[in-house]
Amino acid sequence: MSLLAPLYLLLGAAAIVPLLIHLLRRRIGARVDFPAARYLARAEQEHSRSLRLRNLLLMLLRVAIVLFVATAAARPVMRLAGSGHGPTALAIVLDNSLSTTVVVDGHPLLEQFRGAAREILAAANATDRLWLVTADGRVRGGGKATLREELDRVEALGGAGNLPLALAHAGAAVRAAGLDSRQIILLTDGQRSAWTQTTDVGDVQVVLWLPGGVPPINRAVASAEARPERWTPRGALVARLMSKDSTTYRITLGDRSLGRGTASPNEEVVLRAAPPERGWVAGTIELEPDELPGDNVRHFAVWIGAPPGISVSPGAGPFARSAIDVLKGSGRVAEGRDIAIVAGDELSSLPALILAPSDPVRVGAANRALERVGVPWRFGVARRGEASVAGPRAADASDSLASGAFVDVSATTRYELVAQSGADADTIARVGREPWIVAGPRYAIVASPLDPTATTLPIRAAFVPWLATVLTERLVGEPGGIVAANPGQTLPRPRWADAIEEETGARTALGDDLQAPARSGTYFFERGGRRVGALVVNPESSESVLDRLASRELAARVRARQLLTAADRVQLAGLSFRSAARRSIGEPILVAALALLALEALLVRSRRRGAAAA
Amino acid sequence: MDAATHVPAPRADLFDPASLAALGRIEIVARWIVDGFMSGLHRSPRKGFSVEFAEYRPYQPGDDLRYIDWKIAARSDRWVVRQYEEETNLRASIVLDVSKSMAWSGAALYALAGAEQSGAARLTKLAYAERLTAALALLLLRQRDAVGLVRFDAEIRSAIPPRARNGQWRRVVAALEEPGAGRASSAPVALEQAARLISRRGMIVLVSDLLMDIPDVERAVRGLRAAGHDVTVLHLMDPAERDLPSGGEAVFVDPESRLEIAASVADVRAAYRQTVDEVIGEWRTMFSSIGASYELIFTDTPFGVPLRRAFAARQALP
Repeated sequence: MSLLAPLYLLLGAAAIVPLLIHLLRRRIGARVDFPAARYLARAEQEHSRSLRLRNLLLMLLRVAIVLFVATAAARPVMRLAGSGHGPTALAIVLDNSLSTTVVVDGHPLLEQFRGAAREILAAANATDRLWLVTADGRVRGGGKATLREELDRVEALGGAGNLPLALAHAGAAVRAAGLDSRQIILLTDGQRSAWTQTTDVGDVQVVLWLPGGVPPINRAVASAEARPERWTPRGALVARLMSKDSTTYRITLGDRSLGRGTASPNEEVVLRAAPPERGWVAGTIELEPDELPGDNVRHFAVWIGAPPGISVSPGAGPFARSAIDVLKGSGRVAEGRDIAIVAGDELSSLPALILAPSDPVRVGAANRALERVGVPWRFGVARRGEASVAGPRAADASDSLASGAFVDVSATTRYELVAQSGADADTIARVGREPWIVAGPRYAIVASPLDPTATTLPIRAAFVPWLATVLTERLVGEPGGIVAANPGQTLPRPRWADAIEEETGARTALGDDLQAPARSGTYFFERGGRRVGALVVNPESSESVLDRLASRELAARVRARQLLTAADRVQLAGLSFRSAARRSIGEPILVAALALLALEALLVRSRRRGAAAA
Repeated sequence: MDAATHVPAPRADLFDPASLAALGRIEIVARWIVDGFMSGLHRSPRKGFSVEFAEYRPYQPGDDLRYIDWKIAARSDRWVVRQYEEETNLRASIVLDVSKSMAWSGAALYALAGAEQSGAARLTKLAYAERLTAALALLLLRQRDAVGLVRFDAEIRSAIPPRARNGQWRRVVAALEEPGAGRASSAPVALEQAARLISRRGMIVLVSDLLMDIPDVERAVRGLRAAGHDVTVLHLMDPAERDLPSGGEAVFVDPESRLEIAASVADVRAAYRQTVDEVIGEWRTMFSSIGASYELIFTDTPFGVPLRRAFAARQALP
């Protein structure tokens, strides 16, 4: 038994009143002459035992009445067997992460959780406040029937979700309900990778149920990506498999198989190809089905196109010319006019890699050319003196244009790059705080001539690969790229996309933020109705590691008023609504006090009646 | 006057004692009582009518018709009764307890209990006893018995030897007005004194509230009985002494011994009533065992009742 308002117990001090009356009663009352006092003394002597017993009983009754009333005022609650339960704010946190789709004893673990949740909901009554919170943090409230329907509609997530967040949401919901009895039922597989942080749910009782048994051995595709992101048309798919034994795999591209094979345990699979498809294409790598089918498939996307035709103007310098020749030899580029590598003053069309003019007197002509083709940048004042070139800031580090290309690169002659209004470009490299290379739709501008007297970039080993990347990934085709995400993850909207294709083919306009779909797959970005990139949604690779926490370990990651662990579903059902099964016993105590009061009145009346009859 | 149409006067012996006592002094009240009592008898209480004629007296309702002198009635149209000079063969002594406990009525207790039970008009046990004593003495004297009086509390307050002559009753009444109200009751001494005052076998009437120890009284009465005396005990009790009216908490103080008992009346009333009944039973048993008459008299009882019982005891004597 516990008390909700223990301060009211102080009322129990009033019990001293009947006690004092009992003790002091012989000192009160009038003094009257009574010659037959000797008979009175004899009566008291002969009947003292019964008189004392009755008075003691009356005193005890009165003390008990006061104490009962004080106890009732203190709002006592206790668990009463078979008494149902009182109003409860109860949230069921249902772990529907990918790992709960693992099949155990012929059924997905999620179905066991769903069954347990149904049993708990069946015990709810109309006075309860109920919520169902899934691993993605989504909170569904409503009555018993509503939540049953919601429960039936719950599907497994394509990824890990965020169980600590879901638990926190559940805690906030039950706390906000304003009911005294608050409980969270946590149904989770206790996957170690999902519970990496401690969650505080506040003044709430948490009942935890972890399924028993050892998780099965799992095979999964931990990663899969196209390298490079744009194949012209040659490229490679690199995938890492997670398996304790050899496993067969199959790679698809578009609607056809690209290859299949058998991989050794934890082998990295590399498949090189020059497929005939063109544009943005989705692909998968699949393993044989196992107990956790959700991670046996991993999606990837790639842009495939013919090698771009490159023209190099004389003003671009010999180093650009030589680099293009090397790329032509490897088949990465071809001779043509798809993309121009030009000095600024020679610019006539886009797409183009625009270099600063080697002669400062050509800057004016270069700026006029930029203005003519609509590039919102201008060459400014010349800067002289050696300065180190730095890659993009961390936020842009994923840009393949810059990764590792500017190590030990310096610039001795450069021009300030001045952005015009409406400039929408990525800064690929900087000198100090000033941009040195910027790239926008269908253009890239280098603030120095590709000449060793102006910059060390053309004589670095990374120059040719960087040039290939700029030409084949940035300037070829439409601007865009691949965004990798986990199911449900929220990302910033790519600037180069304005819509996304659903699996059904429907287009959805993008807002400021982009929330990845809950299901794994490849979703194409569009701009102006044309595909410009892909959102590749795959489960977190950690979700494939099914190691579970012990109950004790998981309990250490949840801070609550009380944390109970159910050994099985039967015990779980017994513990559900347990906090509310601690029903108020104030009313029964008040009834008992009234009964005692009635008994006291009967005793007093019988005493008076006896005295009157005498 | 036609005896058939005679309307009897109200009988004072059946009046409420307190109301009757308020009407006059002891001797007046006593006369009314005795007159009323005598008129209620169906035959004269006198005995030994074969003895020498003494005088005539006017007929009173209740007189035996055999003793009406019909010749005088025929001659003078007056109804007179012949009275004979009977030789007195009974010497009676009334032993009256005048201790402080007797000077008490339950008015205070009834006042505590509330207005619905008022004992304010009730006589004290002593006042009741004095009027009863005066009436009893007068009644006995009218039968030509010799009557004496012993008043006692802790000591003998008055002692009037039994006499049957004129003026004896006046002496008795005058003695009743003497002070008393001592802090104890010494009945054995008084009873012995009464026995000494009666030179031969006689009748001793003890009028007391008997708030004393039974063995002491028993010893004295047993001695009287051994000496051949007839003993009648009139045990006076205020109704409040038996009922103990409800009045909440109180400290009850014995005016004689100063014994103090704090009690809740509601708590002890039943037990008290039971105890009083037991005490009365003990007195009754004790007196019965030694051949003494015992009568319990409440002070709200009309005087005629105890008087009749005492008179009946007298009639039982030779």
